[in-house]
Amino acid sequence: MGGEGLNAGLIEEVIMKNFIDRMIGQPLQDFYLKFREFLPSLFSALVIFIIGLLLAWAVKAVIVRVFKLLKLDKLFSRLGITESLQKIAVKDTPTNFIGRIFFWLIVIIFFIIALNALKLPAVDQLLERFLLYLPNVFIAAFLLIVGVLIGNFLGRAALVASVNAGIKQSGLLSRAVKTTVMLFAFVMAMEQLGIGRQAVLAAFTIVFGGLVLALALAFGLGGKDIAKSLLEEKFKKDETDRTKDGIHHL
Amino acid sequence: MPDNKIVLGGDVQETVTALKEVDILIGVPSYNNSKTIVHVVKAVEAGLSKYFSTFRSLFVNSDGGSTDGTRDIVKATQVDLDSILIDQPAGGFHKLVTPYHGIPGKGSAFRTVFEIARRLNVRACAVVDSDLRSITPEWIELLVKPVLEEGFDYVSPYYLRHKYDGTITNTIVYPLTRALYGQRIRQPIGGDFGFSGRLASFYLGKDVWETDVARFGIDIWMTTTAVANGFKICQAFLGAKIHDPKDPASDLSAMLHQVVSSVFNLMEEYQPVWQKVAGSEPVTTFGFVYSVGLEPIRVNLDKMIEKFRLGARELNDFYRSFLPQEQLAFLKSLADAPGVSFRFPDSEWVRIIYHFAVAFHRKIMSPEHLIKSLTPLYIGKVASFVIETWESTAEEVEKRLEDLCLVYENDKSYLIKKWGEKA
Repeated sequence: MGGEGLNAGLIEEVIMKNFIDRMIGQPLQDFYLKFREFLPSLFSALVIFIIGLLLAWAVKAVIVRVFKLLKLDKLFSRLGITESLQKIAVKDTPTNFIGRIFFWLIVIIFFIIALNALKLPAVDQLLERFLLYLPNVFIAAFLLIVGVLIGNFLGRAALVASVNAGIKQSGLLSRAVKTTVMLFAFVMAMEQLGIGRQAVLAAFTIVFGGLVLALALAFGLGGKDIAKSLLEEKFKKDETDRTKDGIHHL
Repeated sequence: MPDNKIVLGGDVQETVTALKEVDILIGVPSYNNSKTIVHVVKAVEAGLSKYFSTFRSLFVNSDGGSTDGTRDIVKATQVDLDSILIDQPAGGFHKLVTPYHGIPGKGSAFRTVFEIARRLNVRACAVVDSDLRSITPEWIELLVKPVLEEGFDYVSPYYLRHKYDGTITNTIVYPLTRALYGQRIRQPIGGDFGFSGRLASFYLGKDVWETDVARFGIDIWMTTTAVANGFKICQAFLGAKIHDPKDPASDLSAMLHQVVSSVFNLMEEYQPVWQKVAGSEPVTTFGFVYSVGLEPIRVNLDKMIEKFRLGARELNDFYRSFLPQEQLAFLKSLADAPGVSFRFPDSEWVRIIYHFAVAFHRKIMSPEHLIKSLTPLYIGKVASFVIETWESTAEEVEKRLEDLCLVYENDKSYLIKKWGEKA
């Protein structure tokens, strides 16, 4: 009887051990094997990401130093870029701002390469789509920068010219010119990125068309007296001559 | 030194080769001046025949492609010397009509004149505008004699002008040039000058003939180059300058841009020169200086003050990028002031001009936008000047301008300090 009881205990112990092996040991072993297989990829990914961070830092430092040597902040200020950046709450100088953009661009690129090194199928697809889309981002950014530059330049030109022409709403006119140019650039950038293509285009058409109509009505109704006096001044030369200054500037 | 020799046309080359050497050369730039150039040609020929009859002289018309027959008229114009002179001139008078090459502008026309002067080893030259109504033979004597007989290199014109004529010259160009280079040249952008052959060759050697100097900045460039390079300077009183009215469509801000940017550009080039100069000294003046009574003229002060106010308010943000707080506060207070108490003090005006010069130097924005934004402030200064001097005689106005010049001179250390500061 005692021997039977012992055998039964051993059998129970073996079954339990097998059960534990199957339920816990095996998955742990599988996990360990897979992890060991994955470890080099993870390590590569980490190394790539760290290299990316270092490279991004170095590129940023070089860009900032070269831009400072070339005194490009002066040029950016002259082109109105500094002013535009301050208006969108960027406290940095344009040189530092561009340096930071490059830093994060390199970090993101290396992060994606690191993900790719993990050899995960989902990441592969994401990477492919991202790389195909990347040129659009660059073109859109370029369009926005050019839009800001031209908008600022033309806005300033309109302001100075309209003040010198004695137009009372010079500030408004300048802002209208600047906003229109920037709006154009924004629509083109969105078109490039493929974001709400139809909606943005329709909104732009409505806003721009509305603006032109509003101006036409404003000039037609509100400005008829001004137009009349302008025409009178233009064609009644004798009258103009009588009110003209006798000062010769040169 | 850059190679600035220019190619002359075949017939011009032939004439130059045949003449070999000439003592005096008078250049007249032109572009569609058929209505006025006859008088200028006659005055020049009479002047040369009357005052320099024993010298070999050449008249050069450097034309910018006139389509109204200006060149033919110059060729055909002759003076009846019998009615002017007792003795016929012995030296010989020659006439040369040539189109100029390069960028269209008075500077390019002068370049051709300088080149002909260099090739002919000329001793004295003069250039006069082709739209002059008041030029007399005496102008030629006054512009050339100081070079030929007194050893001067540069003769600047000094005209009799109404107290409200030449307000850009009076409020900016004269006092600023005087403060910078220390020579009291009353009309540095006069337009009619005398100069030595040596100076003509020096001008020719400068590498400016593809810049704005060729287009519009030649007058102030000639004066400043002569002063800053230590040439012997004098001025000649020519009497009244009456010329064809300028294009009525030409706007004040464009005019201001052309003149002021030329002065500011020269400040860059001659920075080591002007930073060493303190005070100013008078220059020798030839001719009989006189003044006449002033005719009243129309001035629409309300309109001028309104233009100033509009500019001071609308351009406030624009000015903020280069004017200090004191000047911004002053502009605001002046814009809010009633018309009767409208006064633009010299001290504020000079500070503003100096800050514009520094902003131009630092290239903080488009130079054209910067200088054109000076227009309403300039109008404000002129309005204030008119209010202050409405009852004044010509002498009193000249005294008032002398005070302004002294403010420019006394505040020059501030300009030098700001110029050297980092942005």
